[in-house]
Amino acid sequence: MRDPDMPSLNIQNLSKSYGGTHALRNVSLKIHAGDIHALCGENGAGKSTLIKILSGVETPDQGLVQWNGSHLSLGKVHEMESKGIVAVHQEPVVFPDLNIVDNLYAGRELSSGMGTWLNTASMKQQTRDILDSLGEDLPLNQPVGEMALAQRQMVSIARALFNQCRILILDEPTASLTTRESDALFKTVISLKKQGVGILYVSHRLEEVFQLAEWISVLRDGILVSTQSSKDLSEDALIQQMVGRKVAYPSRQQPVNTDITKNKPVLELKALSRTPAYDDIHLKIHAGEILGMSGLVGAGRSEIARAIFGIDEFDTGEILFNGKKFQNHSIRKAIDLGIAMVPEDRQRQGLALPLSVETNLLLPSLNAFQGMTGLDRSQMRSISGQLISKLGIKTGSPDNPASALSGGNQQKIVLGKWIHQNPSLFILDEPTRGVDVGAKSEVHRMIIELAKQGSAVLLISSELPEILSLSDRILVIAKGHVSGELAREEANQETLLKLSLPEEAKQSP
Amino acid sequence: MKAIFLRILSLPETFLSCLIITLFALISQLDPSFLQWEVQRSLSSHIWELAIIAIPMTLIILTAGIDLSVGSIMSLSAITAGMLFQAGSSMPLACGAALLTGTIGGFLNGFFIARMRVHPLIITLATMATYRGIAEGISQAKPVSGFPAGFTRLGQDEWLNLPFAAWLFLIMFVSVFWVIHRRALGLHVYAIGNNDTASRFSGIHVDRILIGLYTFSGFASALAALLFVARRNTAKADIGMGIELGVITAVVIGGVSIFGGRGTLVGTCLGLLLIHETREFVSWHWNRDEFILIVLGLLLIVSVVFQKLLRHKQNSS
Repeated sequence: MRDPDMPSLNIQNLSKSYGGTHALRNVSLKIHAGDIHALCGENGAGKSTLIKILSGVETPDQGLVQWNGSHLSLGKVHEMESKGIVAVHQEPVVFPDLNIVDNLYAGRELSSGMGTWLNTASMKQQTRDILDSLGEDLPLNQPVGEMALAQRQMVSIARALFNQCRILILDEPTASLTTRESDALFKTVISLKKQGVGILYVSHRLEEVFQLAEWISVLRDGILVSTQSSKDLSEDALIQQMVGRKVAYPSRQQPVNTDITKNKPVLELKALSRTPAYDDIHLKIHAGEILGMSGLVGAGRSEIARAIFGIDEFDTGEILFNGKKFQNHSIRKAIDLGIAMVPEDRQRQGLALPLSVETNLLLPSLNAFQGMTGLDRSQMRSISGQLISKLGIKTGSPDNPASALSGGNQQKIVLGKWIHQNPSLFILDEPTRGVDVGAKSEVHRMIIELAKQGSAVLLISSELPEILSLSDRILVIAKGHVSGELAREEANQETLLKLSLPEEAKQSP
Repeated sequence: MKAIFLRILSLPETFLSCLIITLFALISQLDPSFLQWEVQRSLSSHIWELAIIAIPMTLIILTAGIDLSVGSIMSLSAITAGMLFQAGSSMPLACGAALLTGTIGGFLNGFFIARMRVHPLIITLATMATYRGIAEGISQAKPVSGFPAGFTRLGQDEWLNLPFAAWLFLIMFVSVFWVIHRRALGLHVYAIGNNDTASRFSGIHVDRILIGLYTFSGFASALAALLFVARRNTAKADIGMGIELGVITAVVIGGVSIFGGRGTLVGTCLGLLLIHETREFVSWHWNRDEFILIVLGLLLIVSVVFQKLLRHKQNSS
């Protein structure tokens, strides 16, 4: 079946710099068709730049890329696509108002009757075939924009397959997927590999890198540190190569504060309901407590968080904050009461990307810097400076646009913009999604620090180890209901997973 | 140092200033008489009305919105003042009612945009027709004139060599400039234009700010209408017809992104100056209306394309 000498994508001496910073320096890499090649590195290591060059969005300063021995003209998206080199991004790009079929066929619709009619039936059938090969059962008529992020990503992958792709670049594919959805994705990846597709797999989740990849390349500060067979590499060694130092994960053995539940409850939900998202939700979070909220994507966790923060209305039930009923609530009221929110989608909901790091950090509290003569710029500068150093945000200047920062550093801004107002409740929705190992453990330490200082934390995460290592108590949400509440001692990955599966799925394993 | 220099060089304001200097150099070669102070002053009497409306329009476009109804609000306000005066009311009362009408007209735009989440283009397109229709209905398309001298002097008198309208514009410009660059509200406006969801999630009163800006736009349009009526001593329902295009063109040539979040008031003023001088010179020198349209259209294309190239260059360097 396979070609004896497999074609390969040969990257030679790529360099790219933005302003004064070198994003890539002399990077050479070879990806063979039929191989899964993982690319690891911290945020800002140059992975995104490499992906952008390979998908034709950016032109490198130096270096060349060959496909099957012939040179590719770089900086042209069309050239890359026509050679079958396709990237599927972390935040998948789709046409939100079109359904799956139209998304897949956009620009190459099938027609019959000499091009007069669209051949809808056969387009639908082929779409269903592709989805079947991916093991997905998605509604064909629903606009893709209404689907969950995980499903939109599947649509992107289906679109890539449809493009006859030879090299598939997956950028953080599992960042927003639950364990079960990730497993489905892995099966897809492996079957693509068997069909001779070369895969460049970029991920922060090291378990899956070891599970899938034959080859692992590590980028650090724009330099290719190593390319090794995954068999010759241990997880610890990989982390060390990525960060250049040892990383300590927050240990599970933090002193368990048995008194936490005797603290006053900061937030209490009583029979909170909104059809169809969630129903009859009861919960209590105490000062100094981290309450983990686990469950599948789409189980209703984000919707509950949005109701607490005053973004959406709810139908029935009560929200009590510090014992008082929270009425006519709006986001501003929630903030003034002392609620902070790190939303699910940091680029769309958390940041005004083109604005400066400083403006973003101070956005919720700008009014506080206003005096008779206008904004107190020097105080703004000093507070933002303190936050930048406290959170370890890597930026040349507070005036740089937030868009110039890596994902991990952007997430620190979204967290940091609340910190100097000392909120009593933090709602964190997927706070480490798409964040690298180093920044992730920094975010984890910050979360623990917030709880130590007496804030209550509602931690929503699809990453089980994260929930397990940080939470004092864990609430599992399945299909809009609380399906279980566990103390940290009784919880493990299997119990959480079992509780998060909807009833019917449990009965037919 | 080089980076700062490059940044200044790639600002739309720098580019516009260069264009304006080139234009004046060209004029001084072709027809220096155009540059006499008296000529300039007599040609600029109407520009201040446009400039007053351009201030709130800049802010609205910065929030990624647009207000097409400014001309119709002018018309409705002018007719309100005219009809009240004709019915025997005192001129200050008529003026107050006109300002109130414009303000309410703007508030309604803002209310539908912020609270009902209707796209600004659609809602102001609708009120553009509605307000003008009401004005025509009330006035039966008949002009009102014969305003008292105390009122028409507002449109003709000067103070320190500048017309009253110019002073109103300057006061407005300075105070709005201060609010935008020195108050939290300014950063809020830019934040909304860059990402209104993230702004809401940061507790910014997006709805209130939007309603406020459209209300301000209605007020400014009414003010411009009164200046127009005072200058021409006539109130008619066709006042301000098409003025929204002139204003939006100036704002866009001034480097304000139509998608919001980027641009400055200074840019708008430079855009306004460039359009005004070009238009007046073409009509002064060649006296051909079709030339004006062609030149303005080309100016818009050249300036927008050039600014885009500059920004692209800056981003990739």
